[in-house]
Amino acid sequence: MSDATEDGVSEVVVTENPVVGNDLIISAEHLTLRFGGVVSLRDVSIEMRRGEILAVIGPNGAGKTSLFNSLTGVYQPQEGSIIFTPAGAAPLSVIGKKAYQIARAGVSRTFQASRLFMALSVFENIKIGAEDHRGIGLVGALVKGPGTRRGEHRSDEVVIELLDFVGLRNEANLIASQLSYGARRRLEIARALATDPQVILLDEPAAGTNPSEKLELAELIRRVRDERGVSVLLIEHDMKLIMSLAERLYVLNFGSVIAEGSPDEIRANQAVIDAYLGSSHEEAS
Amino acid sequence: MTIISPANLKRLFLILIVAAVVAIMTGTPGSSTASPTTGVHGSFMERVSWFGLFAAPRWLLFLTLGVIVWLLVSLYRPRARTIRQGIDHVLAFPKELSSRKPTRVTLIVIALVVVILLPKFVHESFWMYLIVEQIGVWILLALGLNVVVGFAGLLDLGFAAFYAIGAYTTAWLTGALPMPALFHHPIPTLWVIPIGILAAMVFGVLLGTPTLRLRGDYLAIVTLGFALIIDDFVETQSGVTGGGVGSSPVPHPSLNVGFWHFHWGISQTPYYYLCLIFVVVFIIVFTSLEHSRIGRAWVAIREDEVAAESVGINPLKYKVMAFAVGAASGGFGGVMSAGLVGIITPGLFTYQVSVNVLVLVIFGGMGSIWGVALGAIVIQTATSYLDNYQPWGYQINDLYMYIGALLIIMMIFRPAGLLPSRRRRREFAMAEGGEEMHTDEVLSGEQP
Repeated sequence: MSDATEDGVSEVVVTENPVVGNDLIISAEHLTLRFGGVVSLRDVSIEMRRGEILAVIGPNGAGKTSLFNSLTGVYQPQEGSIIFTPAGAAPLSVIGKKAYQIARAGVSRTFQASRLFMALSVFENIKIGAEDHRGIGLVGALVKGPGTRRGEHRSDEVVIELLDFVGLRNEANLIASQLSYGARRRLEIARALATDPQVILLDEPAAGTNPSEKLELAELIRRVRDERGVSVLLIEHDMKLIMSLAERLYVLNFGSVIAEGSPDEIRANQAVIDAYLGSSHEEAS
Repeated sequence: MTIISPANLKRLFLILIVAAVVAIMTGTPGSSTASPTTGVHGSFMERVSWFGLFAAPRWLLFLTLGVIVWLLVSLYRPRARTIRQGIDHVLAFPKELSSRKPTRVTLIVIALVVVILLPKFVHESFWMYLIVEQIGVWILLALGLNVVVGFAGLLDLGFAAFYAIGAYTTAWLTGALPMPALFHHPIPTLWVIPIGILAAMVFGVLLGTPTLRLRGDYLAIVTLGFALIIDDFVETQSGVTGGGVGSSPVPHPSLNVGFWHFHWGISQTPYYYLCLIFVVVFIIVFTSLEHSRIGRAWVAIREDEVAAESVGINPLKYKVMAFAVGAASGGFGGVMSAGLVGIITPGLFTYQVSVNVLVLVIFGGMGSIWGVALGAIVIQTATSYLDNYQPWGYQINDLYMYIGALLIIMMIFRPAGLLPSRRRRREFAMAEGGEEMHTDEVLSGEQP
């Protein structure tokens, strides 16, 4: 617990939530991501503890989604390191890995604009997530041996369990595009959970949903952590939602971390207020 | 709604323009040097007989036809919804029936019996040629390309390359190329079938591994390039492939099992059965692939590659797999063709072949195995018939003009193809903006 002594916050969090472990599940250090001359992330360091609900907030263009894309292998930061430590397995360096390799290792995600397989049914969407995409050969898929059939059976069970978990059991045969926005968000979470992840990254899960759907989503996200033991990293703009859900927050602005702490600390942080409302020192030009 | 409304008059104007274009298309060709406009002039002014009833200039004929079409459309539009509902109502029972498993099995059995007995009914050599060379081989090609374009969503403009590889592998191994056969020991044509399929698949992997990192248009350009390279290679490397002259005759396949000898000869019928067996095998293999984990991974990649990767699918692996699987039936098409035609020349594997296969797939319905087969049957029958009989002043050079017009009409009225797969139809419906736009709304240009 050498890290936790640096800030009293994390100790408080640990005592409040026994689910949260003390070891780091994701540790990103000094990430810098550039696109040509544009610096999207500047020396960003993030530590995520096993079992916590961690949030990243910041104004538009602050680099939140870039951070997510870096953590999941979609973007490759030019500098820095990302270490993902799955339970009961050796730590894994994320940088240089492909997105699908990271997904298989146990880091799953949803997308800002939901990216479901819109022409497929709810069931099929989750099933594609639940299936093992590792060792399929052509012959294995064609000759439906006992192994293949067992795999099918297992993934069907996972799908049904997840349909119940996110409350889409009755919509299983609907086409994804027929769902309401709130239901799409839940489906995306279910698909991400189908890969049996240890960390789930949710990119604005409540975007485009109505207030009652927001409450349901918050409840669902909490259950993802409490019932399934999946650590949650979350980007969200709805402050009420995030303050009630997150145990710890990072605030990004212009690609840099400007604050880190508990919801109460962040609320009181002058740099954060400046970032959101504009600072009084700035010249009005 | 009155017939004389601005929208309806606009429609009349559009229809008359189309009629004028059709009149020029079907009219007399102009002499290019002396008076280039004679064709246009003749297309409108020439007197033609109306089904032998009376003679009138062509412009009158097409004007009348245009007005008739316009009147029909005007009459149809107010009742469109009722008529569509009526059709849906009538079709509801057959549709429901055909979705039941016993019906499907019965239909497939009936279809199989018909295709097995088909050569017994067909005696004219043109129709036999049509069935084997124009439909059989092209169904194989279309089925293969359907895996690549329809299942995995990869635009491949160079599918003829795999066809060529199958054919030239056959010619090489049977000793029909200037280049000596492998180990200087020609092997029987029938034995080449697995090797030809395998060779095409290997080329699929070799081409796919570096290029399938590209997406969309970039991939299309690279595949086009690959096909042009193959085409150029067989054309110019006469020491290896025989160049423009082509190969020596590839021996017809023959089968020797114990005392039973069978020889494929000049007759098309044995080839028909050889082709039929493989078409059935490929249909079974591709159908079960479509419904396997691999098939679902293909759909996922086709719909959203980033999302597919986020659930642990390695896109490159599955795309290469689609290329290889598709190449297999294209390669077999090549082997078949080589055995059937005998002398193979570069002219059989041009860019037009790739485009034509793509037309079959788009027309039939991307991603739908039965649709693609039906598309191949319809288009190949129509084009061969036109080429052979040249009815109504049809000219061979005009073929692609008509196919282009056909595709445009398809894209307006049935964008997902003749017999689309359910998923593909949904994708197209969504691409059109969430809800299906009806054909008459498209015609009149009204915003929904």
